[in-house]
Amino acid sequence: MSLARAYARGLWDGRLVLGYTLLLSFALFIIAPFLMIALRSVGKGWFGRLWLPPQLTLDWYRWAIEVGNIPEVMKNTLIIGIIAVALSTGIGICAGWAFGRRQLPGKEMLMAVILLPRMIPPITYALGVAKIFYALDLVDTHLGVAIAHVSVCAPYAILVLSATFEGLDERVIEAAGVCGANALKRFFYVILPLIMPGILASMIFSFTHSYNEFTLTLLTYGPHTVTLPVRTYLAVGDGYWEITSAMAVIMVVPSLVILAMIQRRAKPEKLVGGFKGV
Amino acid sequence: MAEAMIEFRELTKRYGGLIANDRFSLSVQSGELMTLLGPSGCGKTTALRCLTGILRPDTGHIFLDGKEVTELPTHQRELGMVFQNFALFPHMTVLENVAFPLMIRKMARGEREQLATEALRLVRLDGYLGHAPRQLSGGQQQRVGLARALVYRPKVLLLDEPLSNLDAKLREEMRFEIKEVVTRLGITAMYVTHDQGEALALSDRVAIMNKGRLEQLGTPEEIYETPRSRFVAEFIGLSNFLDGIVQSVEGAQMILGASGVQVTTVALPGAAPGRKALLFIRPNEIPLLSADANMTASFAAKVEKVTYLGDTMDYRVRLGDGAELRVQTESAKRFHPGENVRIVLPKVRCWLKE
Repeated sequence: MSLARAYARGLWDGRLVLGYTLLLSFALFIIAPFLMIALRSVGKGWFGRLWLPPQLTLDWYRWAIEVGNIPEVMKNTLIIGIIAVALSTGIGICAGWAFGRRQLPGKEMLMAVILLPRMIPPITYALGVAKIFYALDLVDTHLGVAIAHVSVCAPYAILVLSATFEGLDERVIEAAGVCGANALKRFFYVILPLIMPGILASMIFSFTHSYNEFTLTLLTYGPHTVTLPVRTYLAVGDGYWEITSAMAVIMVVPSLVILAMIQRRAKPEKLVGGFKGV
Repeated sequence: MAEAMIEFRELTKRYGGLIANDRFSLSVQSGELMTLLGPSGCGKTTALRCLTGILRPDTGHIFLDGKEVTELPTHQRELGMVFQNFALFPHMTVLENVAFPLMIRKMARGEREQLATEALRLVRLDGYLGHAPRQLSGGQQQRVGLARALVYRPKVLLLDEPLSNLDAKLREEMRFEIKEVVTRLGITAMYVTHDQGEALALSDRVAIMNKGRLEQLGTPEEIYETPRSRFVAEFIGLSNFLDGIVQSVEGAQMILGASGVQVTTVALPGAAPGRKALLFIRPNEIPLLSADANMTASFAAKVEKVTYLGDTMDYRVRLGDGAELRVQTESAKRFHPGENVRIVLPKVRCWLKE
């Protein structure tokens, strides 16, 4: 009994060590796969049971860019991403306005319907989308792939913007009206600055979802609309692990850029800063 | 008579089957501080929203400074307004908030910032120009709201329950601050509230609303001293009501009997023996005497309940027939529950019942 107590006390005393060990394992669990790929993409002659690659090289990146045609693929990904962001944010603003500002009958029901595409298994949904797109000649067009992505992005945009518009205080807009602002000025000086954080959040959400989207792209892409995730997947099939790893790392870069942007720019105070002194 | 600055003429507004304003008419004179007073749902807010142009009345007209504005959009009405929830622009500083109406009117930056600073000095907030509204206390935010409403010298200042989001002590202070600023600027103001204390303390005239209609219009004193109906009497101040009957009419006076009490009042037109009447007595207008007091026209009663209110004592006394009266006195003489007392009714108002 006293032994168990002593043991427990020892654990209690060592709780910091225990805590850090747990945190570290958790971090490893998240980072390890990525670390693996990153090392693989710069390692040369890394075979067998070696702990670390014996030689470092950037050759695989050159190969990825030249053979994998990454600039073209990146361009496709960005074009599709931008179209998807524009469409889903547009839809999000309209639907969010309706959800957030109007008394809609059956609001919960409608919201559920909008979220439905996220509940259906992506491959099931993608098959249906592909079938329709073949009939409409939308396969292998930037617009087509983007529209397919919108089915994933729009629900997020609608959710975010509904909350934004719900949080918009009607009386503040009324106050602007009483102060003499017409509809246009009310929009530009009051409504827009207040919903800007929501719009930015919705755009970032939409872009990352479009950028990372795999299943829907796989069934609607063609030679002219290969995106980064699809290209990376195809490279796996080619059997060159090093080149695939390089592509995978390249793919992460824009995500990191966006993350940095969110941290630096997308703070509400900073957003509002652009409107100071009007 | 001075010219009307705000005029509602036969304003009617329905929400579905619900009537919010029922042929509501009211005119506010230039330079006057008028209070729209009533319980929630009486239509005062609807009338205000019709005046600001956020709502369109179904029928009727609204005039501002002699011009019809019923169909004019809000931003062309040249109003200043203070909102219940402050409704400051959260993304602007205090100075920008107050300068906003001037910016909309395309005033040069230097000039509008100077005017805004002056307006903020008027409400003693010129030390907070660069603060965000959320950094200020409720009272300070509402003073910013007041400065924003006044900065472009509108013809009319509207105040929509401006103090109801503040705590009691601050409310008391802000009352006088608002009154002082409005008086100093000589601006026409319409103040909407459900708080009778505010209405009495602030107003030149009070318009009491009930069920979408104007129930009574008068100075605070008139409203308090001579309420026209039971509704007004109940709403303003404390009141006791007794059902009575006219016993006799003698010239300009009549004698009423109620709950074993007999009182003499001024004869009302149409009073005749046998007519039913409603008697109304303020609790602070009933002197309490000890049971052995020898005074004519005093009536026996029994103390039921005593509540200590600090500056006054609040008694519930029961009359011979079981009717209960609320009595508030400041006298040092204390009575206790169960004690027999005598009451005097020197000041009774009454209405004849149909």
